[in-house]
Amino acid sequence: MLRLFDFFAHAKSESVWMAHFCTGCCSLEMAAAMGPRYDWERYGYLPTPTPRQADVLIITGLVTKKILPALLRTYAQMPEPKYVLALGACAFDGGPYNDSLAVIKNPTEILPADAFVAGCPPRPEAIVAGLEEIKKKMKSGEPSAASQGGLWKEMEF
Amino acid sequence: METLFNIVVFPGMFYVLAWTVLLFWFFRKFMAALHKRVGPSFNGPAGSYQTLFDLSKLLTKESITPDGVNPYLFSIMPLLAVIVATLPTAFIPWTPDVYVIPTQYGVLALVVLIGIEPFLLFLTGFGSNNKYSFLGGIRILTQMISMETAFFLAALSPALLFGTMSLGEIVEQSSWLSFLILFPGFILYFIALLGLLEQPPFNIPDAEQEIVYGFYTEYSGTNYFLLKLAEFAEFMAVFAGAATLFLGAYKGIFFDGYIFFFLKMLLIAIVMMTIRASTPRITMKQMLNFSWSYLVPLSLLNMAWVLMAKHFILGVGL
Amino acid sequence: MQDLRKALSAHEILSVEVYKTMWLKVRIDSHDLLAVAQTLKDEGFIAISTVSPTDFLEEDRMEMNYFFENYTTKRNCWLKCDIPRDIEACEIDSITPMFPGANWHEREAYSMFGVRFRGHPDLRPIIVSQDFYDKTPFRKDFDWDAHEANTVENIQQIVDAFKEEQEINEEHLDASSSEMILNWGPTHPASGPIRLKVHCDGEDIISIDPDIGFVWRALEHLVTKKDFVGAIVAVERLCFMDNINSMVGYCQAVEEIADVEITEFAKWMRVLLGEVSRISSHAMGMGGFYNAMGLHTVGMWNMDIREYFLDFLESYSGARIATAAIEPGGVRYGLQMNMLDELQKALDKFDATKDDIKTIFVNNPTMKVRAAKKGIITAKEVESFALCGVVARSSGVKIDVRIDEPYAAYAQVKMDYVVQKEGSAKDRLSTLFGELEQSIDIIKQAKRHIEAEIENGNFNPTKDHMVKVPKKLPKGEAISRVEWSRGEVLMHLVTDDKAKSPYRLKMKAPSFNHTMMLNKMLQGETLSDIPLIFGSLYICQGDLDR
Repeated sequence: MLRLFDFFAHAKSESVWMAHFCTGCCSLEMAAAMGPRYDWERYGYLPTPTPRQADVLIITGLVTKKILPALLRTYAQMPEPKYVLALGACAFDGGPYNDSLAVIKNPTEILPADAFVAGCPPRPEAIVAGLEEIKKKMKSGEPSAASQGGLWKEMEF
Repeated sequence: METLFNIVVFPGMFYVLAWTVLLFWFFRKFMAALHKRVGPSFNGPAGSYQTLFDLSKLLTKESITPDGVNPYLFSIMPLLAVIVATLPTAFIPWTPDVYVIPTQYGVLALVVLIGIEPFLLFLTGFGSNNKYSFLGGIRILTQMISMETAFFLAALSPALLFGTMSLGEIVEQSSWLSFLILFPGFILYFIALLGLLEQPPFNIPDAEQEIVYGFYTEYSGTNYFLLKLAEFAEFMAVFAGAATLFLGAYKGIFFDGYIFFFLKMLLIAIVMMTIRASTPRITMKQMLNFSWSYLVPLSLLNMAWVLMAKHFILGVGL
Repeated sequence: MQDLRKALSAHEILSVEVYKTMWLKVRIDSHDLLAVAQTLKDEGFIAISTVSPTDFLEEDRMEMNYFFENYTTKRNCWLKCDIPRDIEACEIDSITPMFPGANWHEREAYSMFGVRFRGHPDLRPIIVSQDFYDKTPFRKDFDWDAHEANTVENIQQIVDAFKEEQEINEEHLDASSSEMILNWGPTHPASGPIRLKVHCDGEDIISIDPDIGFVWRALEHLVTKKDFVGAIVAVERLCFMDNINSMVGYCQAVEEIADVEITEFAKWMRVLLGEVSRISSHAMGMGGFYNAMGLHTVGMWNMDIREYFLDFLESYSGARIATAAIEPGGVRYGLQMNMLDELQKALDKFDATKDDIKTIFVNNPTMKVRAAKKGIITAKEVESFALCGVVARSSGVKIDVRIDEPYAAYAQVKMDYVVQKEGSAKDRLSTLFGELEQSIDIIKQAKRHIEAEIENGNFNPTKDHMVKVPKKLPKGEAISRVEWSRGEVLMHLVTDDKAKSPYRLKMKAPSFNHTMMLNKMLQGETLSDIPLIFGSLYICQGDLDR
């Protein structure tokens, strides 16, 4: 019984599907990561059309105020266990849009991310590396950061 | 004992599961090659464990039942879909020995069981309480009505030629000559198959870019796994139907065996994938127009051709 | 130009001057706007590029700039007039009834500056989120910090507005029919960050109301907080798919105000880099067109080609996409000859794949069945809605800023308009591919020229790339147009005396006009046509929202 359980945990960590949601420019490099040269499907990543079948939500770069409710709604629609990957400088501190007030500078305080990928935009290899981080987190059985806290729990969306 | 083996292993549950995992992997790998990519690669030899992991994962994920849906309709339909999609395997002569239900009405059973499937999928869309799912459900119903007519007519042409509804006898009697006579029927069957299995250019019911994911939109976890299983079992039933009706099933070049059956199904899958990689989607109206103005009349003509060939080439009286 | 001057002399003109040979800069009184606009329309200036208010806080006036274009004679007219700055009196006549292309531009001016347009058919805020309604965020005296202080309440406001809208949606619908309102996006596989409110009856579309602004970063305000060099970071993020050409547009405006002439070598480098960037954008555009029809192969193949061109950009600037390679005064880095080898690899890659793509995808019979009759834009609509770039040329309208008002070294490049006749979705794909080939040709010309001139010793690739541009610019105003991959980008830059940063930068981006067309094009079509037409219009949400 123990072995069987292990198998399912391993399967879960090796099969990471992404919700198709783009909030900013980094989705361009995400497309490149799907493309022939970097091909993230080699590692078992697959974009899904609906959040209902996704394991990971990727915050692709900047999050404006207007798109934040949609982002949180997408996250809420995903089945447990679910993880969040934050791409780029914008998702960390607003990046080049730090001075712009239409952009939320700390989206990961609202929806905590399990892994960050640096860059503006991050290179495709870096995105794959970030997803590998999430895999590691899944393997170690740690609960996702967003389930531990974050402003999103108090917000209505 | 043999019945148990048939139900559990071949051509029953285990076989369908193994087929699902392998075909899913093959689809992804083949598609990747056409995309100039690699496809699943690091899990197991050539990434062959990947789909096993994917499907196992779905089993352990949370299965969401959204607010406002009828939970019974929502959760029972995927299960029913799997059962109905798996049933045709019992009627197909996989090898000379494995032929679970050697009925006189094999063709009929195959056609009816394949024909019910889209209706169940329509109900999944109907029960999802989502506008996109509902649109997907309506689309699949429309597509079913128009494509299945041609499908049935094409599938009946071997029965007409050999004068029997038994799949076993059709396979027994098939030859190179009968293949040539049935070739137009095979082409029509193949086109109708694309419509029935929602493959490009007829992937209208689950058109991602238009209606998100059609009737799949609200499904997650185990329910989604069941629907995927049903989809691939359906692939198998339809491919196996094509192989049995037109290509002589397990008959091989030097010896007979399951391997030839498998290769024939694979061939159909490869052609289907190549079309998938090079053909964009058409619209509902164009599909309806194509189906009723070309496909159905041609299938009727094909039946006439089969009857003529039977009379003039094989020399059998009408 | 003389004809126009003559025609305009019937009105009371405050000042008139010829600007950059192609433009006539006219200042009028705001009460004469409608009459002058009518004259312009009669003279063939049917397209209105954009409406750009500039807020002069100290002089207590709001200056309205209208950029009219004549697509036949390629002459343009820049109309200026002053209106009171006070929010109560900040009013002007709307030209939308006369020029339908001004519709969204006036709405934008209304939401950003609070300019009210008398007689506008549909004056609702656009782009800005609900918390900025009636707040005029781009006015100089808007207190951003105070607004930011209560972010959580602002977000709540957006959420409430959305929920309220969903409830109202259902109320107005005919309960006995199959009418519904679909939210097509932003969580949709094909939409990107845009929401189309699709009012449909089953599969048939009744009307579409695009809700934009999901990636509104207030770039035009952001640049005013940066210095002239730092501003390129904001400008290039107009849309990452083709960032070089937008930087070229901005830098030309800065150079014009600073009165700096860049070197011949830098001009050619701008052509070279710009075309590389155009290719990387067009490659994705073709992919996007086919992705909209559920076929990802061409996207993947083009992505493969694109990687090689990004390799060149990377070897040149160190970044694949965010290159920041164009700077006021020239190009940022010198050129080493091994970088051109990288480019040659990319060109070879394209030549090797081009025929396959052409036979399988550009001439795809199923695609023709699907797209040949869909999304037709007539040449007349192109003019009245001021469409540009690929979309305009597909309808047979011969406009291309690279030829009409050559910038950088385009005057020495041999090129012609890539046009199609009918303006259907299929024609737009053909134009895209045609321009891809054209860009390859231009790159080859530029590469040959640069190599030859370096050989001759006329160019010094490591020293010639930059000339010095002063950090502080004089008071001035400039516009510059470039042919961006999606069409004409018009940059209107205003500087203050001894300015370290731009006072006002208006970026007119083509997707804004193209999105305006969606409702018109999709009425009466079916749901299946939304992704096709949306994809064929080659819209990038980045430059749609700015």
